[in-house]
Amino acid sequence: MSVTEEMIAAYADGELTGDARAQVEAAVAADPALARKVEAHRALKAQLGAHFAPVLDEPMPDRLSSMLRAESPAEAEVVSFAKEREKRGLVPAVRRWGIYIGPAMAAAVIAAVVVMPSGAGPDPIPTNGTVGPQLAAALDTQLVGDAVDAGDHRILLSFTNADSRYCRVYRSNRAGGIACREEQGWQIEQEMLLGEGQSTEFRQAGSEGDLLAAAQDMAVGAALDAEQEAEARANGWR
Amino acid sequence: MLELLPRLRRFAIGLAGSPTDGDDLCQMTIERALTRRDQWQEGTRLDSWMYRIMRNIFIDEGRATTRRRETFVDADAGLAVGSDGAQEAQVELTMVERAMQSLPEDQREAVLLVMVEGYAYKEAAEIVGCPVGTLNSRLVRGRDALLDILEQAPEDIR
Repeated sequence: MSVTEEMIAAYADGELTGDARAQVEAAVAADPALARKVEAHRALKAQLGAHFAPVLDEPMPDRLSSMLRAESPAEAEVVSFAKEREKRGLVPAVRRWGIYIGPAMAAAVIAAVVVMPSGAGPDPIPTNGTVGPQLAAALDTQLVGDAVDAGDHRILLSFTNADSRYCRVYRSNRAGGIACREEQGWQIEQEMLLGEGQSTEFRQAGSEGDLLAAAQDMAVGAALDAEQEAEARANGWR
Repeated sequence: MLELLPRLRRFAIGLAGSPTDGDDLCQMTIERALTRRDQWQEGTRLDSWMYRIMRNIFIDEGRATTRRRETFVDADAGLAVGSDGAQEAQVELTMVERAMQSLPEDQREAVLLVMVEGYAYKEAAEIVGCPVGTLNSRLVRGRDALLDILEQAPEDIR
């Protein structure tokens, strides 16, 4: 039986064993042309391997790696906050505030994933700077990371601003904002729509990142930790 | 799955012929793998499963794209295919890529799985879903064609 081209290639790839291998070995030893062919196959393999190897070291495009990070929502959110700020050439908020945002956000995000019903209608979006009763109650009593009912406002973060007022970042399904406690009550400083109902967690996370970035710009010092937040609540946010 | 990503991406770029198309293919593969993750059987190789998903998508959906492209670019423009757009400027279309793209898809995937991804013939045949003998002969035709093309090419543009 003669040695086929398939056998030569398989031999070059180390795929042959036993009799077949011995047969090709003998043929290669006897025929320089076959030996050159085996060499050519191996050289080609090395060339292709070297050609494609650099792909392994290229930075992974974010659109690909982020798809897998989304498997763990809390982690995806935290990572995308940092990314969002990097895109704007800012220091990642998460790195500075990470120890405060991290655990609270993880809890809040998991709660959000669980409670946000898909296709829920838009909840009321305040547009004139006034604080509705549900939001006021949330601002007064809710701590970061507390579980909330679907559609209700959640508190994402608390901090103090340049006037030494307490401020809180909140969001509902489709909108969020920052309210600060003035003498007469809660005053909305900023508000924004956060993505569409159908949007991915990423786009929402990005928008939430905008909100947190705005908060960081307003904040003096770090975000309140749980203890400071509880104390501030006990003092009526004054 | 995250650890597999660089290798999957390499296979995708090799199949599709450009980083942009490769990343699109990679994205579709991840999407499909995530939606069908319950179909993956514990104890079997995740990498083979994902490679199979990728090549199936490529065969199903990539074909139309490739055909469109081949129809609308002339021979000279064809040299620049895959390097359109500034973000890809660093990736020049080399002789190796041109040679790979000249192969029929069944030979190209066999060449990539065995010679780049390092699969044994049996594993590669399982990914492709063909007998080992068929894979072996596709591989031989593919690599002979590559050797022919690359031997004719001057060393400095490989």
